[in-house]
Amino acid sequence: MRKPWRRNAVWTMVILGLVVSGCSPGAAGGKEANSAAPAAAAATVSKTGYPIVEEPIKLKMFTRIAPVNGPFKDMPVFQDYGALSNIEVDFIETPTDGFQEKKNLLFASNELPDALFRSSLTPLETIRYGTAGQLIPLENLIDDYAPNFKKLLDEYPEIRSGITTPEGHIYALPAVVTLGAARTDKKWINQSWLEKLNLEEPQTTEELYNVLVAFRDQDPNGNGEADEIPMTARASAGSGQGIPVVNMMSGSFGLDQQLGYNINLIDNQVEIWMGSERNKELLVYLNKLYNEKLLDPEVFSHTEAEYLAKQASGKTGFFFDQTNNPFLDIADQYTGIAPPEGPHGDRLQSQGAPVARDFGAFAITSVNKYPEATLRWIDYFYSVEGSTLLRFGREGEHYELKDGIPYYKEEFLKSGNQAKITPYAGGGAPHLISDQVASYINPPQVQEAQEKLDPHMPKVRYAAPMFDEQTAQRVNILRNDIDKYYEEQSTKFIAGAQSFDKWDEFQATLKKMNIDELQQIYQDAYDKMEK
Amino acid sequence: MTRWRSNGQPGRTSRLIRRMARRYDLYLMLLLPMVWYLVFHYGPLYGLQIAFKNFNLARGIVGSDWAGFEHFLRFFNSYYFWRLLRNTLTINLLSLLVAFPIPILLALLINEIRNKAFSKWLQNITYIPHFISIVVVVGILTVMLSTKGPVNMLVQALGGSETRFLESAGWFKTVFIGSNIWQNMGWQSIIYIAALSGINLQLYEAAKMDGASRLRRIWHVSLPGITPIIVILLILDVGQFMNIGFEKILLLQNNLNLESSDVISTFVYTTGILKGEYSYTAAIGLFNSVINLVLLLIVNGFARRTSETSLW
Repeated sequence: MRKPWRRNAVWTMVILGLVVSGCSPGAAGGKEANSAAPAAAAATVSKTGYPIVEEPIKLKMFTRIAPVNGPFKDMPVFQDYGALSNIEVDFIETPTDGFQEKKNLLFASNELPDALFRSSLTPLETIRYGTAGQLIPLENLIDDYAPNFKKLLDEYPEIRSGITTPEGHIYALPAVVTLGAARTDKKWINQSWLEKLNLEEPQTTEELYNVLVAFRDQDPNGNGEADEIPMTARASAGSGQGIPVVNMMSGSFGLDQQLGYNINLIDNQVEIWMGSERNKELLVYLNKLYNEKLLDPEVFSHTEAEYLAKQASGKTGFFFDQTNNPFLDIADQYTGIAPPEGPHGDRLQSQGAPVARDFGAFAITSVNKYPEATLRWIDYFYSVEGSTLLRFGREGEHYELKDGIPYYKEEFLKSGNQAKITPYAGGGAPHLISDQVASYINPPQVQEAQEKLDPHMPKVRYAAPMFDEQTAQRVNILRNDIDKYYEEQSTKFIAGAQSFDKWDEFQATLKKMNIDELQQIYQDAYDKMEK
Repeated sequence: MTRWRSNGQPGRTSRLIRRMARRYDLYLMLLLPMVWYLVFHYGPLYGLQIAFKNFNLARGIVGSDWAGFEHFLRFFNSYYFWRLLRNTLTINLLSLLVAFPIPILLALLINEIRNKAFSKWLQNITYIPHFISIVVVVGILTVMLSTKGPVNMLVQALGGSETRFLESAGWFKTVFIGSNIWQNMGWQSIIYIAALSGINLQLYEAAKMDGASRLRRIWHVSLPGITPIIVILLILDVGQFMNIGFEKILLLQNNLNLESSDVISTFVYTTGILKGEYSYTAAIGLFNSVINLVLLLIVNGFARRTSETSLW
């Protein structure tokens, strides 16, 4: 014990270290969710007219930025609307890749922004975060502070049922698409190739097959090389989203997509058709196309950017997209066709979105001190005026009015900045899409393509139902396994990595994964909706 | 190696304290890493309890209801359980069998090259791939192995048929482990080369005098010289056994090769982070770690018994 002070110093340091580490936020795991505080600020929010608030306020919003977008703070809509409303929005921009991950971590760590803009929340996420108190219910605020959105709710009652939880809460606002053509992917076929090869528009799946064979073999683009891609489609957007090429073709085999899932509604009976014989026929058909190189070999693996580039290249014969925007320069080569008639006479446009197209596009969190002002802020975009500002920018600079309808100015389109100035490009922004703001995405060519689909649309398109938290959790557990299995096996069937001898096993496994229970849950939800 | 004797004499602790006091500066240096471990490795253990609870964000970790082993049972009964376990184990086992010896061979080879300039050049060439980011490596693989890529052109020129390397379950493990070897062998051989240069040159000369051939010298001098390093690195590798290659596997995964590329770590990511099922994936992660710990203990015990080198 020659130098006791030294020993003491060491122990003090050790203990101090322990104490510090014990108190550090890293160790302190979960935090209580902040309770909602509908602040006294409400008093200063005006229910009509602008500015929304007398004293300028600032809001932080978490948002997704698509590859085509420019920075949100440079978009004319947010600059001009910020000045008009007296609400300045500070956007936390997250790229599309990895967005889902960031979004969930935001809630898990409870470091919440004031609101989420263009957030693609799933129904389960809204219920989970809503019941946890991280998102605030909006149904009572809508009456007073969201007149435009309320008008849409009254006009399209299906929106309300699609976004209200069984407990009666609305935790998130969708994008509202009253324009039918913005809810379907058109079936684009290369018209100039058809003419060159003296072919008619295919009316049946058999004719489609023959047309695709001709596209493959007869060198329709005349360059002497077999570089044509007869048919292509989007690759999957992720587990649980289905396989796009299957969704696009399923209507020809009598497979509808109701309730936001692989569901047929026959006489009020819900049938999940994944294990059905019809689905087998569809997969056999697609497998034939794939084997004969009629279907793009990269259809499961190419990226979104590669898919869009293929559209613009003019080397594709048949593909699916909502608008003609990706291939605008060569748009006159293409024309939209009706769904081909299948072997059993089915001719259905099964793919399509409900009026509340992008679910969970906007939500307000519990840390927001100005929920009323925030709701009024977003409500503007559910009016034609606000939507015009959001989609078209400034009159005179970006667009001009013809017959009261905004059109982008030629000079502005030539600058190539169209997608940079608007958050709608890239999809999922909370706003109204009606025929009054759709001159760009709904030019005559797209309207014609939509008219070809219209006679084949299902009478009613039911949106995905909202379950209560417990059921939602159960659906999630079931669908995690089932969707993953279905998508993996379907891909293998189409690509020929698995022979159709395994079909019985496929059906049996779906049964084992309790697909019947899932069907019953959807049946109950449908019955409740119909009452 | 020293072993703790549990029946230490009285006074042993006070002697330890005295020793610590004498070399207090060294212990102060130790403090920082210890705090780091406590904060980042032991602190989060507290959150492990959500594996046994129905984690509810609003109520926090402590406030959530207990669920017992429900999440574990769900995982064990899942359709994917055996596939995940099988893939995780086989990919890592194959990596260990095929990829582990290669840096050793490379190090021995480089060590035998008498031309210094050439051996340096070879060393540089082999370890540069280590610095390429995984995303880029996967990009290179995609281009090289696509149906119109150079590898397929070569295969077809030699009379083979077009092979979808990245889109078939049968090829996944070969592609994954092969590219791992290419990327990491140079880097991993550095430690062995350093160990080899530490071997006393007189041993080589003595062996030479006794008439040992090159291979004999490698077998009897070089290899025994680096055996402790090999064992330690093996144990460290096994310590990472269940986790390696997560990003790369995720990037190479698609529906067509999922049969052999679906592993526990990617499953945790896709269900836990992307779908927000924290309790379920915490349970899977815990199960993963337990397997890993068991493996580590087995290998360590085996090493201790057979080669007198081990971590503890």
